[in-house]
Amino acid sequence: MTAATDPTLRTAALAALEAAINRALALDPAALQALGRLSGYVFAIDCTAPALQVYLQPGTNGLRLMGHYDGPVTTRVTGVASDFTQLASARDPAAALINGQLILEGDSGPLIELQKILAGLELDWEAPLVDSLGDVVGHQLAQLLRTAFTTGGNLSRSLARQLDEFIHEEARLSPPRLEVEDFYRDVQALEQRVERLQSRVNRLRRRLQQATG
Amino acid sequence: MNDKSTTHFGYKEVDSDAKASLVAGVFHSVAARYDLMNDLMSGGVHRIWKRFTIELSGVRPGQSVLDIAGGTGDLAARFAGIVGAEGRVVLADINESMLSVGRDKLIDQGYQGNLEYVQADAQYLPFPDNSFDCVSIAFGLRNITDKDLALRSMLRVLKPGGRLLILEFSKPTNALLGKAYDSYSFRVLPVMGKLVAGDSDSYQYLAESIRMHPDQETLQEMMEDAGFTNCEYHNLTGGVVALHRGIKA
Repeated sequence: MTAATDPTLRTAALAALEAAINRALALDPAALQALGRLSGYVFAIDCTAPALQVYLQPGTNGLRLMGHYDGPVTTRVTGVASDFTQLASARDPAAALINGQLILEGDSGPLIELQKILAGLELDWEAPLVDSLGDVVGHQLAQLLRTAFTTGGNLSRSLARQLDEFIHEEARLSPPRLEVEDFYRDVQALEQRVERLQSRVNRLRRRLQQATG
Repeated sequence: MNDKSTTHFGYKEVDSDAKASLVAGVFHSVAARYDLMNDLMSGGVHRIWKRFTIELSGVRPGQSVLDIAGGTGDLAARFAGIVGAEGRVVLADINESMLSVGRDKLIDQGYQGNLEYVQADAQYLPFPDNSFDCVSIAFGLRNITDKDLALRSMLRVLKPGGRLLILEFSKPTNALLGKAYDSYSFRVLPVMGKLVAGDSDSYQYLAESIRMHPDQETLQEMMEDAGFTNCEYHNLTGGVVALHRGIKA
């Protein structure tokens, strides 16, 4: 028997996520302590679309994520990806679990505890690269991404400035802001002078009518 | 006529008696920089392959695990964390240099209490019958002179219901990937070995030994012939590596 799909990427993603969660937990002793109280429980997240199974095993040292688990499961939640997203971001997870589309098997209490702990964490998504891919490659990849994002930011800012200059100064597709404001002021002044001229013409016309009449 | 049995040492044909000491020479030479080389050679992916092996092992707290050819202790460290204080992990390696590097590394990382270190030949495991819930061997089987003998020895020390996990280089499923992989392992690996570990011959041997190792189906048959049941394998990274699993009935 062979597995149809290559599990390498899924395993890598779970490793990265696990490392991120555990790094955040290491900085939050209260959350880690709360997680320790859930030791011995195993939670199964059974996503049917896209098909993905993840098992979460809390312990005193952190949370373990697995793609395979053969033992007994405390709580199993089955549903599609969007249902899980709603549960993860819910203010009241208990209500979301009861009223949502998810199918729950087993004990819901520990699952709600776990959701509260994870929702309170500030996750660091950068560090997992080194942990899951090793010091050599992980560091290089992190370096590469850091450089790419920093340069990307500078590049887009610089590009925006140059494009602005090109449109206004070189191609003169659109006037610069100051020139437009100046133009509007001139138009406004002209409008006032026209109005004044109009009223003067009207006054002169009335006088002429009185003189002839 | 030479009536002595022969075996492969990379692409060379050598006396069966000589292979163990030749392999020992390779690992004495690379032990100190083994972890770094693994990271470089696999692009860090060997950690993912080992993690998947741990998942499929199904090892739980309190169980006993034997990690053969455990090298620098990557699997043993993870197993030690899972089995906990009530469990037992034995890190076995035929090579004293590798065992010593592994032991130092694990002790430095704080693993102790449930870990034992044993210098042992996988063909003649020095443990009573039915001793372990799980036996694992990662990137070690291809270096063993008589693989059938080793598989039978592993079966003997496993408890009924226990699992054997073999993580080993295998045959890429895609021909194009196979060609790219070939040129990588024969052109890049020895140079990398020369630069990092100061030894290109040992890495040339590693590349050759990978090609001579049985493919996925052959290894599965060998496990079944040795007496394992429910044998299966999972291709990882397009079959560059395969994880075989078998159960002792």
